[in-house]
Amino acid sequence: MAKLSINDLKKIKDKVEKEDQFRAGNKRVKLTVHMGTCGIASGAKSILDTFMNEISEANVNDVLITTSGCIGICSREPLATVEEQGKEPIVYEFLTENKARQIFKQHVLGGKIQTEFVLARGREQEGGK
Amino acid sequence: MKVFRSHILVCGGTGCRASGSEGVHQAVVREITAKGLSDEVAIVETGCNGFCAAGPIMVIYPEGTFYQYVKADDVKEIIEEHIIKGRPVQRLMYKEPDKEVPIPHMLDIPFFGKQMLIALKNRGLIDAEKIDEYIARDGYMGAAKALTELTPDEVIEEIKKSGLRGRGGGGFPTGLKWSFARKSQGDVKYILCNADEGDPGAFMDRSILEADPHAVLEGMIIGGYSIGASKGYIYCRAEYPLAIKRLMLAIEQAKDYGLLGDDILGSGYSLDIEVYQGAGAFVCGEETALMGSIEGKRGMPRPRPPFPAVKGLWEKPSVLNNVETYANIPQIVLKGGSWYSSIGTERSKGTKVFALTGAVNNVGLVEVPMGTPIGDIIFDIGGGIRNGKGYKAAQLGGPSGGCIPASALNTPTDYEEIVKLGAIMGSGGLIVMDEDTCMVDTARFFMEFCQEESCGKCTPCREGTKRMLQILQRICKGEGRDGDIELLEELATIIKDSALCGLGQTAPNPVLSTIRYFRDEYEAHIYDKKCPAAVCSALFKSPCQHACPIEMDVPAYIALIRAGRLEDAYRVMKKTNPFPGICGRVCPQFCASKCRRGQLDEPMAIAWLKRYIADNGKKPAIEPVPVTRKEKVAIIGAGPAGLTAAQDLAKRGYKVTVFEELPYAGGMMRYAIPEYRLPRDVIAEEVKDIEALGVEIRTSCRVGKDISFDALRKDYDIVVLAVGAHNSWKLGVEGEDLKGVWGATEFLREVNLGRDVKIGAQVAIVGGGNSAIDAARTAVRLGAKDVTILYRRERKDMPAWEHEIVAAEHEGVKIEYLVAPVKLVGKDGKLSGVVCQRMRLGEFDRSGRRKPAPIEGSEYTLSAETIIPAISQSADTTFIPEGSDIKKDKWGGIEITNRSKNKTTAESVFIIGDAATGPATVVEAIAMGHRVAADVDASIRVKNNEPAYKEPAEEKIDIPFEVDEEVVETPRAAMPELAVTDRAGNFQEVELGYTREIAFKEACRCLRCDAEI
Amino acid sequence: MDRTQMEAGLAEFTADQLEQVDEIIGRYKSKPGALIPVLEKVQDVCGYLPMALQYRVAKGLNLPVANVYGVVTFYSFFTMVPRGKHVVRVCLGTACYVRGGQRILDELVHNLGIQPGECTEDRNFSLETVRCLGACGLAPVVVIDEDTHGQMKPAKLAGVLAQYR
Repeated sequence: MAKLSINDLKKIKDKVEKEDQFRAGNKRVKLTVHMGTCGIASGAKSILDTFMNEISEANVNDVLITTSGCIGICSREPLATVEEQGKEPIVYEFLTENKARQIFKQHVLGGKIQTEFVLARGREQEGGK
Repeated sequence: MKVFRSHILVCGGTGCRASGSEGVHQAVVREITAKGLSDEVAIVETGCNGFCAAGPIMVIYPEGTFYQYVKADDVKEIIEEHIIKGRPVQRLMYKEPDKEVPIPHMLDIPFFGKQMLIALKNRGLIDAEKIDEYIARDGYMGAAKALTELTPDEVIEEIKKSGLRGRGGGGFPTGLKWSFARKSQGDVKYILCNADEGDPGAFMDRSILEADPHAVLEGMIIGGYSIGASKGYIYCRAEYPLAIKRLMLAIEQAKDYGLLGDDILGSGYSLDIEVYQGAGAFVCGEETALMGSIEGKRGMPRPRPPFPAVKGLWEKPSVLNNVETYANIPQIVLKGGSWYSSIGTERSKGTKVFALTGAVNNVGLVEVPMGTPIGDIIFDIGGGIRNGKGYKAAQLGGPSGGCIPASALNTPTDYEEIVKLGAIMGSGGLIVMDEDTCMVDTARFFMEFCQEESCGKCTPCREGTKRMLQILQRICKGEGRDGDIELLEELATIIKDSALCGLGQTAPNPVLSTIRYFRDEYEAHIYDKKCPAAVCSALFKSPCQHACPIEMDVPAYIALIRAGRLEDAYRVMKKTNPFPGICGRVCPQFCASKCRRGQLDEPMAIAWLKRYIADNGKKPAIEPVPVTRKEKVAIIGAGPAGLTAAQDLAKRGYKVTVFEELPYAGGMMRYAIPEYRLPRDVIAEEVKDIEALGVEIRTSCRVGKDISFDALRKDYDIVVLAVGAHNSWKLGVEGEDLKGVWGATEFLREVNLGRDVKIGAQVAIVGGGNSAIDAARTAVRLGAKDVTILYRRERKDMPAWEHEIVAAEHEGVKIEYLVAPVKLVGKDGKLSGVVCQRMRLGEFDRSGRRKPAPIEGSEYTLSAETIIPAISQSADTTFIPEGSDIKKDKWGGIEITNRSKNKTTAESVFIIGDAATGPATVVEAIAMGHRVAADVDASIRVKNNEPAYKEPAEEKIDIPFEVDEEVVETPRAAMPELAVTDRAGNFQEVELGYTREIAFKEACRCLRCDAEI
Repeated sequence: MDRTQMEAGLAEFTADQLEQVDEIIGRYKSKPGALIPVLEKVQDVCGYLPMALQYRVAKGLNLPVANVYGVVTFYSFFTMVPRGKHVVRVCLGTACYVRGGQRILDELVHNLGIQPGECTEDRNFSLETVRCLGACGLAPVVVIDEDTHGQMKPAKLAGVLAQYR
């Protein structure tokens, strides 16, 4: 790849913002599995696999699945976030494969939040805003 | 087509299959066939219902009954009940939640709401393996700004202005460090990142590297640019494979984009970064040792100066910062140094990440503005202590740090303030320890760590830590000696002053800080051979026995219940406890709080088992002990302390007389604890055993009135004061002289004397301890309509026992929290109401609980004809004449002169029980009684030049050993109780006692940790 | 160590393993500070670092064998005793310790019949203690090979070990 200049950096930023399929509206739901060491040790890998299987079984292409690092509350791992287009993200805690299946079927596909497995909604506070 | 009357739908989705739906399906087929219902009932396997977490799911039509968590074993019942008898099985049916619970916002949850993210700003939001996602969140914009808009000096100025200090432990100002390296001459310079995170309990660096590796690279690029480095190393510990993987990937991606390598962003600046995998040595966290390790040598520190900024890696000018420090840099460059320095305290700027672990409810990574009180992190963000246990201390700064006791929870997270406590900020590992942690063992643990990790280069650290460890090991084994604490302190000072590097200099910190705050625990190990937390196992057989103030052999009598040998069980109890029937009902069970079973499910119901034995075991006859000694002992007060002392002294051959003011012996057991908790015949029977030994109890005889104290001292060689604490404290508010104001002790005593006590229909009780609950439940029984307890803190802070609080609530007692009386109002000299003020919880007090502070203007009046303050009690010592040689302390209590807390200033007068300690428990009083008897006897023998007393040999009771092969989680057996409706207007015992079956089942839960395997 | 002793010491390794060792040495030969990465990789290939391998590394990198030995014995990552097929590592970092890590270790010692640093007779398990794996959120932690087992209880250990037997 050719080297970047500052303008390129800004372009990437804009491009990612624009092209992020989720933000651009191509995808209806973004599903993030939190996979730091703690999460993986608590079984996040199998949660990710379960979601992937569910996506392929349901044969949907409007769900974006991604991973990210730890969100900090290790004692409630494994965790995953479901973000529907235009709605607040919902963070699920203490996941098991079956909870993941139910969340996928009821929330991701059916739009019904599975309150009993929810840790919280929304995002965290960034410093100095 | 066949017509079926019922359809059974068994879910065959992936989730339900994983939970065992195939087994359920087969069971249904089997059962339906067996019952000959194949023609009537159709069995269908369906696709997924979408309730995978509640699987296996079964739906029965035509009713549409939805069953969840169905096991193969449940099928028989479902077929019998539902299909055949038409009665749905309620326990397996899905229940709609009572009400929709609102989902809290992240910021409404204290764990997240109190945090402020800078170093962790991308956590949970980006895919660490995709550089574009980092760039989309302003990634590399800080580097771009630095490299193209700012000169290196300007960057350093900005970092200086931010006030950022090294987050790895030292807290050295980052900008200053960079400016030194910038000024150093050198053809090559190095920018280094310490990702060796060796401090056990700290994992913020790992988490940052795993979640946001580019932030660290960007920080290094900015740092490298400002000092003029062309090469960078990240020294990462091998224990972090995922971090290493993601870092390497990040470096590759950054290189591809030209964000690393030659001529970054066309600025002309070039930097290469390499990951260097550490090989596991704590000392490599020290900067010069780390550089030695990168050079391929044993990682040993070297003396400074020269400082690394002048001569570092390969003797070239180098800067080393840790992961968290670098993660802050891009934000500072982007948003400006003054933005960063606007957060935090005077000398500690920005935010700090803490790894919060140990005995807290919420374990995790926490980033808070500097200055946040440590108590807020533990109790708000951390959600307090797990399993309802008490807070003991938190270790901050790992093996180089110190502990934060309950009395210091208001301390702000600020480098200098923390050092004042004897701890250090360190890398931010904050490990919370509860009451089950032994601080001596903790000090030993850290010393062992430092000893093992000492590189061996300098003598103070190599040999000094070894000596300190040996002393600590000795103390933990019960072989501590007088002078050990002082020796530890002396060695610690020498090591601190003379060790070569940070590891050695700080190694003694955990020992010094535990001695500073928990000297009593060291003393308990050294002098009493006791580990108060029941951790140092060399000191005891079983934790329950060790935690018991009178060391009752709990596993033994429980084993004897299991073996059905109740008479022997009773004899085992009586060896150490003269009042097993009483303790079986009212003991707070220090034993159970340390019960190992509690780590599996729930602690054993030790007291209830004790009661079962006392109620049902055959009691051996008591023979009088002949008086063999010439000295006579008088004991004032026939409570548990006095009676135990009397028993022990009588057994040693002394003539003992107990003087009791009230008509019956028993003290607080008889006159404070209500009859519905402790029937009078139980007390009478156990008191009788003591009289049977030959002890004389003179009731209705008040010393100071019926007999003078001086006369008593003339007639008896030794006097033991066991007068209890029978005077309730006053509230100290206006209106306490009104009619209708009772002290709790006085109120309970009047009731227990059998007098006709008049109370109003509305009764207020003040306080949160057991006497408050006793007074409240007694008031209910006397016919009060509204009984309200006013407590100034929260429920979790109430010292009363949980099951007592619950019982009071069942009986209709209302409890108002966070409220305190400020004035009593009345009409015609009679109480009519209590003016109350609402409280809120503010700072932490010395006990580690939040202090209630009044909310101005929140006053309201609670109407009440009776108010019973139950806040505390003190001893009545008016019987001691003025000018006596028994001195009083500044609070009006009796001055106590020894460690065992039983000697007064007069040689022949001892003191025990509540009068000595303030309000305590029956079992503690018994312990003091045993102790004083031994001390009285010893003092007499020493005076007479006699040999010490030797316990007569006891008949040995053989204790069987039988445990279950497999331990299955089983909760504690519940106590059968008198129905609430049967309690009104009487004082019948509420807890009915275990039956034989329950007691046997409960006894089988004992894990027998006393047994040597 | 003479030639025959050295050859005897290397006899347990396959030709392929030794070839890889030499390849690693060759790759790092000219780099400053190569010793530790080389030892890490060699241990990866051979499982442990007996004296004979240390001689080979020293010779290859042109270093005194004392240096190699010094480094091997300094860092806890290196081992001079063979490891079992499965390495059971008990975390005794502070967070694990305060949540009962010691009792987990005691139970493992009891169950496997070996002390930390030892290998079972059938060479199936070796037992090690480690200082903090950074998975404090799951304390107490036992790591078997690559698998992290969090929130361990003594009673759960037998079941976990059975998966590796």
